[in-house]
Amino acid sequence: MGTFHNDKGELHGITVYAQSGNTVYVGRCDVLDDERLVLHDADVHVEGPNGLGEDERTNEQYLQRAARFGVWKKHDLLVLPAAELGPVRPLGDLVRAAAARPAESTASAPAAPVADLAPAAADGAADDVVTLTPGAAAEVRRLLAAEPEPGRGLRLGVAGGGCSGLTYKVEFDRRRDGDVVVAHDGFEVFLDRKSAIYLRGITVDHQPGLTGRGFQFRNPNATNTCGCGESFAV
Amino acid sequence: MPYPEQLVAPMRAELTSAGVQELRTPAEVDDWFAQSQGTSLLLVNSVCGCAAGSARPAVKLAMQHGKRPARVATVFAGQDLEATARARQLIGDVPPSSPSIAMLKDGELVHFVPRHLIEGQSAEVVASELTDAFAQHC
Repeated sequence: MGTFHNDKGELHGITVYAQSGNTVYVGRCDVLDDERLVLHDADVHVEGPNGLGEDERTNEQYLQRAARFGVWKKHDLLVLPAAELGPVRPLGDLVRAAAARPAESTASAPAAPVADLAPAAADGAADDVVTLTPGAAAEVRRLLAAEPEPGRGLRLGVAGGGCSGLTYKVEFDRRRDGDVVVAHDGFEVFLDRKSAIYLRGITVDHQPGLTGRGFQFRNPNATNTCGCGESFAV
Repeated sequence: MPYPEQLVAPMRAELTSAGVQELRTPAEVDDWFAQSQGTSLLLVNSVCGCAAGSARPAVKLAMQHGKRPARVATVFAGQDLEATARARQLIGDVPPSSPSIAMLKDGELVHFVPRHLIEGQSAEVVASELTDAFAQHC
C-alpha cells in the first residue's frame, strides 16, 4: 500500500489508527514493525471514566470524524510500543468500509443516469467517447458473429497494470447498469463509468494479418504510452 | 523549508497546464474566495509522492467530467506558505492536510477529501470520488 521505503512496512506513508486501552492514536505511519509504531503528525484521543474524551466524544465518534476530515496534530512524532497496541489500520478504511455498506445493500438499485457519469454522453454525444476505424469495426463484427450468446457487445475498459500504469481491457460482454453505450453499425460498445473517463476520445484500430498487431489504441488522454501500445499513463 | 523551485515547478505545471489557477499569495487567495458564487474546487498541492502523485492527476481527470466546478484553483503547501495558510483559514473548520481537496458551493465547504483518503489510492479512484461529488453539488 505504501509507495516508498518498503523496509518500513507496507503502511509507511499511510495515515493509520490504533488503540491501546482507552486511548486512540491517529497519525501518519513512518515505521511499523514488531517493536514499534512510529507516527508523524499524530493526534491522541483518550476516553475518560465517563466514556468521553475532552471533546465530549467517545473514541468511536472521534474516529468517525477523523476518518472524514483528518485530525489536528498534537505531536510531530510519536513512538509507541507495538506490543501494547491493537491492530494498526489505515484511517481511510473506516470511510471506505462505510461507503461499501450501502452499496452492498442496494446492489439491485438502478444505476445513476449516464448523463451524470460520462461527460460525452451527457450532451447526447456518446459517439465521441470511442471511435472504431472501419477495420476495427469489421473485426469486431467478425468476432461477434462467432459468439454463441446473442446480445453481447464490445466492452472496452481500463485496469491497473502494465509498464505504464494502466492497461486496456477488451472483451465481449453484455450491457451492465450504468454503462456508457456507443452504438456502431451492427454492434454496441460498452464502457463502465470510470473507464469512460480515461478512454473518452479513444480511437480503436485493428491491424490484421501475421505482421499486424491486432487491436491498437490511440488515446488522447494518455500522457505516456508503453512501446507495445498495450499500457498507458494519464 | 520549501523545496527548490526547479524541483516543484513540474508539479505546479502539471496543474496549471490543465487550466487550474494557481494562487501564490494571500491576496490572490482572498480574491479567489471573494468570488464565492457557484461551485469551486481547491486542491492543496504537496510534494508528497505517496498522495499528491495521485491527487494532481485525479483533479485533472475529474475536470473532464460533464458536471464540474466552475472554478478550480490550487495552493502549494510547503512552498507558498502564506497563501496556503490563508486558504486553510477560508476553507472551513477542517484540519490542515496536504494534499487535500476542498469543494465549495456559494462559499461553503460541501465536500472535503483529506490526505488520508488520497494516499494509497490511484488517481482513477480519487477522480471517481470527486466526480460523484460533482454530480451531487454541481
